[in-house]
Amino acid sequence: MLIKKKSQKIVDKVNAEACDQCGKCPSSCPVTARVEGFNPRQIIAKVALGREVDLMKSQVIWTCTSCLKCKERCPEEISPYDIMLALRRIAIHLELPHPEGFDESAKVVAETGAVQQPQLVRTRNKERKDRKSMGLPPAEKPRDMAAYTETLRGILEEGEA
Amino acid sequence: MKYALYLGCTVQTEQYGYEASVRTTMPRLGVELVDMTGVSCCGFPPFSSVSELAWLYSSARNMAIAEGMGLPIFALCNGCHLSFVETKHKLEHSPELKAKMNEKLAREGLRYEGKAELIHIFELLHDVVGKDKITAAVSNPLEGLRFAAHPGCHAIRPSRIGRPDDPENPKKLDDLITWLGAEAADYPEKIDCCGSSLAAASGKTVLDIAGEKLKAVKRRGFDGLVTTCPFCFKVYDNKQRAIQATVGDRELEVPVFYYTQLLGLAIGVDQESLGLDLNQSPIDPVLEKIGGK
Repeated sequence: MLIKKKSQKIVDKVNAEACDQCGKCPSSCPVTARVEGFNPRQIIAKVALGREVDLMKSQVIWTCTSCLKCKERCPEEISPYDIMLALRRIAIHLELPHPEGFDESAKVVAETGAVQQPQLVRTRNKERKDRKSMGLPPAEKPRDMAAYTETLRGILEEGEA
Repeated sequence: MKYALYLGCTVQTEQYGYEASVRTTMPRLGVELVDMTGVSCCGFPPFSSVSELAWLYSSARNMAIAEGMGLPIFALCNGCHLSFVETKHKLEHSPELKAKMNEKLAREGLRYEGKAELIHIFELLHDVVGKDKITAAVSNPLEGLRFAAHPGCHAIRPSRIGRPDDPENPKKLDDLITWLGAEAADYPEKIDCCGSSLAAASGKTVLDIAGEKLKAVKRRGFDGLVTTCPFCFKVYDNKQRAIQATVGDRELEVPVFYYTQLLGLAIGVDQESLGLDLNQSPIDPVLEKIGGK
């Protein structure tokens, strides 16, 4: 199975079987405290049991705030955060269901050099301001946009997961 | 003290108050900022969940530009700074990846050696500029005000690859606040996350998480919350009305500032140059207390 073959490579690297299930990660996690079914300790347990494909097919891997407390506090230096990112990349590469927005912003960056173009923002008094009216220099972008875009598109199509 | 200024997407495209206050305050403290040309997104977060190679490439590309300038990179955003630190670390430990990056960078005439130094705003203000210079520059001390420091997750974690402050007990932003004449007090929620990275998956959870922190800051009697992270600011300040609606508390009002805005007020920069009219949270009572131009 293609999915398993790809995810096994991640699993081999993450040392999930060293997890003592001590519970430092869920007790630190801002999402576990609020979203039922999200628990980094259980994520590691599933990976250790070879059930990471279930995770990739669920919403769980998309529900992390990237606060990095789990990674910081793990006594075994396992990082539920990095595991979730790695599983997200495989899920996206294999076009498994995932929240909208991730592919879109990657595409926008590859095409324009930034996640968005400079916005017109509002003051507290409802006036509009932009970079120019703030006295700020024009926003920067890659000089050779064609070469930049071609390179990033190539990397994204390659899909290194 | 000369640095290559890396703004990053969020600052460059909407968080103008941060950029303006950095540009007006730093030179007064002897820090020369040189704009980087041809820069792009650091890769975090748009590529971190999609392609690790695209993420590393994006960070390496910007660091290569700074190398060409022969200057350390001063990245304003916590996320960009961490992205550069992580990429530098990964490429240092993988000559194959580094070679692969350089092969791709060559198409734009760039080369990444890994020589560019990286500096975070806490390091620059706290460790390089330092207490003596900052306190000497203060002409309008922010006396009688007590602020909650919010360093932001990516400024302090993961400590294993080197962050500018302690992962569990960060103090630098507190020091920086006190050097302006204001008070900073420790509080249990100080290192809690703003939740902003969840925006793509669950906007409501972000507002819940941020609301908890704002409630704590208000309950503990602070006059405001201070940060240097554009993502955190965007949630606590720009989305404060939405937070109030989500947590069902219309009176949950907390003034939110970029540290460099307070720094500017303390060293006598006028409010407009600090972009203070862009803060959406109710900062006017604090500004009245501070006075100045």
